[in-house]
Amino acid sequence: MKLWYSFIKEVKLASRGFYFYIELFMALLLLLILIFVVPENFESRQSEYIHLDLPKTVKKAYIKEIKDKDLDGKVEKVEIENDDKVINSRLYKTEDKEIYIIDDKKDVIKLADKKQKIGAVIKLDNKNNLDYEYYLQGYESNRLKNLILIIHNVGTDTIKTVFNKQDVRPLSTDYEVLTDRENLIPSFLTFNGSLMGLFIIAAYIFLDKQEGVIKAYAVTASTVREYLLSKVGVLLLTTIVSSFIIVVPVMGLKPNYLLLLVFLFTTGFFASSLGLLVASFYKNIMQAFGTIYLLMIAMIIPNIAYFIPSWNPTLIKILPTYPMLEGFKEIIKESGDVSYILTISLVFLIIGLILFEIANKRYKKTLTV
Amino acid sequence: MFKKVWAIFMRDLKVNIRDFLSLYIFVVPLLFAIAINIFTPGINDTTVNLALLEGENPKQISYFKDFAKVEVFKDIDEIKKRVEGRDNLVAILPEGEKYYIMTQGNEPEGIVEYAKLLNTFFQLDVQIEDSNAEIFEFGRTVPPLKKLLVNTSILFISVLGGMLIALNIVEEKVDRTISAINLTPTSRRSFILGKSIIGLILPIYGSIAITWITGFKSVNFFQLLMIVFASTLLSLLIGFIEGINNEDFMNAAGSIKLLFLPLAASVVAIEILSDKWQKFFYWSPFYWAYKGNDIVLSQNGSWQQILMYSGIVLVICSIVYIFLAPKIRKGLE
Repeated sequence: MKLWYSFIKEVKLASRGFYFYIELFMALLLLLILIFVVPENFESRQSEYIHLDLPKTVKKAYIKEIKDKDLDGKVEKVEIENDDKVINSRLYKTEDKEIYIIDDKKDVIKLADKKQKIGAVIKLDNKNNLDYEYYLQGYESNRLKNLILIIHNVGTDTIKTVFNKQDVRPLSTDYEVLTDRENLIPSFLTFNGSLMGLFIIAAYIFLDKQEGVIKAYAVTASTVREYLLSKVGVLLLTTIVSSFIIVVPVMGLKPNYLLLLVFLFTTGFFASSLGLLVASFYKNIMQAFGTIYLLMIAMIIPNIAYFIPSWNPTLIKILPTYPMLEGFKEIIKESGDVSYILTISLVFLIIGLILFEIANKRYKKTLTV
Repeated sequence: MFKKVWAIFMRDLKVNIRDFLSLYIFVVPLLFAIAINIFTPGINDTTVNLALLEGENPKQISYFKDFAKVEVFKDIDEIKKRVEGRDNLVAILPEGEKYYIMTQGNEPEGIVEYAKLLNTFFQLDVQIEDSNAEIFEFGRTVPPLKKLLVNTSILFISVLGGMLIALNIVEEKVDRTISAINLTPTSRRSFILGKSIIGLILPIYGSIAITWITGFKSVNFFQLLMIVFASTLLSLLIGFIEGINNEDFMNAAGSIKLLFLPLAASVVAIEILSDKWQKFFYWSPFYWAYKGNDIVLSQNGSWQQILMYSGIVLVICSIVYIFLAPKIRKGLE
């Protein structure tokens, strides 16, 4: 009961300060960005600069092949600026590539170098077979280079026939793919809630320390645990409210909101307990700040990897933000993996409780007069 | 005036050394750089991860190793478990004379197509020795993603500088020492300058340290400093405004959080969004600082471009300053 009163009192106090509104403003801002700025799906096409050093008829046939893959079947004439020189080219946009056909071989090499994209020259060898020259940057992996080397060994038609016969058997077919916009939500939630929660709770405690609130607390009937829990409570409340502001308008009725609530609660609790523990080692915010900043940066790394599917080092999987991102991703899907979400929620709750108890012990020694 | 600025800086430094803060300032950029060095080696691998059966077809395993990251497993159950893992890995498994591709079902299309293509080449017995292509390289060794991480770290470090100033000032406020300053002969401007120096040193030292340790030793450090200096001014300005306008740590922490938004948005805009979206980010000084850092790190920027980018950052900062100067003055009173 005392805890409830402390919590209500904290909420009332927080609602008078700016902080609460900054949080809500931030959530609204993220929401507006998601709805108005972020496209449903990003268009990302790899640019290639190609020069065709071929006899007219072969060239015609080659261009026709590219044109057939073009999305609207039309060629665009574009001017590319490079070192004060304007290079004329014809652009074909296929599903995953932007192919620029350029008349001068030297320009292809220059563009590939300057713009750091792939350049290629296609010509005939002395047996009148097609021969390819590729211009790469140098940092491409050997595996990719090997693939480039063999890709034209066999005719396109043969490849197509065998390729289309490949037997792909998915273990499950009811996976949903999130749009790029939806895919941003887990990252926003992790950042807005847990990551910053670390920093905010420390600021919260030091504010009270500096203003003497904590000493005043020592003479009330409340325990340190209740004091800390009421702080965590306010933080959780703001996290939950601001997360719902972001999720509800974008995802509608799709996610399981009960699970979202559970997950926000457990991950938020974990982050604030960690923040409390870190803060307990320092006298003021300036001292604690360095450690908290480092922790935050470490936890941002999975966020970067999240957007680069081919980069997934094992090391980042041990950082807590990795399961958080995966968890939020499962929650916003209609057919999310409930057992995964519940399992990691439980793990976060248990670790959170342990951290909280250690922090509580430390504060008992330092907070009371 | 300089003497007073110096005195304020020295006092800050003393307080910060006592608080171990200078240690962090020294260590944070080093940790950034080391983390980047640890994480980046695997970064530029754009191929797929394949799971194969151990001993089933050694020729196939060694063939695929040339084109993909290969993991081998003892039996199909183990492979199934691995494919069901949370990352993207597909298996190529035998069935009678043929091979089929086992996926989890949620992999990006590109990854499955890549695996299909590799299996096609294996079936057609396409060998590297028979290649009709030749590869020329420009000799670049740093993958773009490493550059991205280094660039983003430099921006983070300059925001860190701003955060330090903001927290420093709020601390003075909470300790009620700001009004005390008004009674001394130290002018407001000296106080601002003195308080800013610590936040200025961090980004300059930090960006040089990160660039150096991550292996970008041959960049033009004068060009880098030019951009860093411009973006640091921005952080100083923001740090100071945050510090002045916020009465306590909670508000300062909350509003600093807002700062990360334009930073992240600018990086995402440049790296992911297409040309038509770029103009929506022209207002963000981080956008220009990132662009500037990028050409410095790729070593293909001219002085003209560097001056332009840092100039734009400066102009945006000045506009913000002119707009907020009365507020800053009021806040210090």
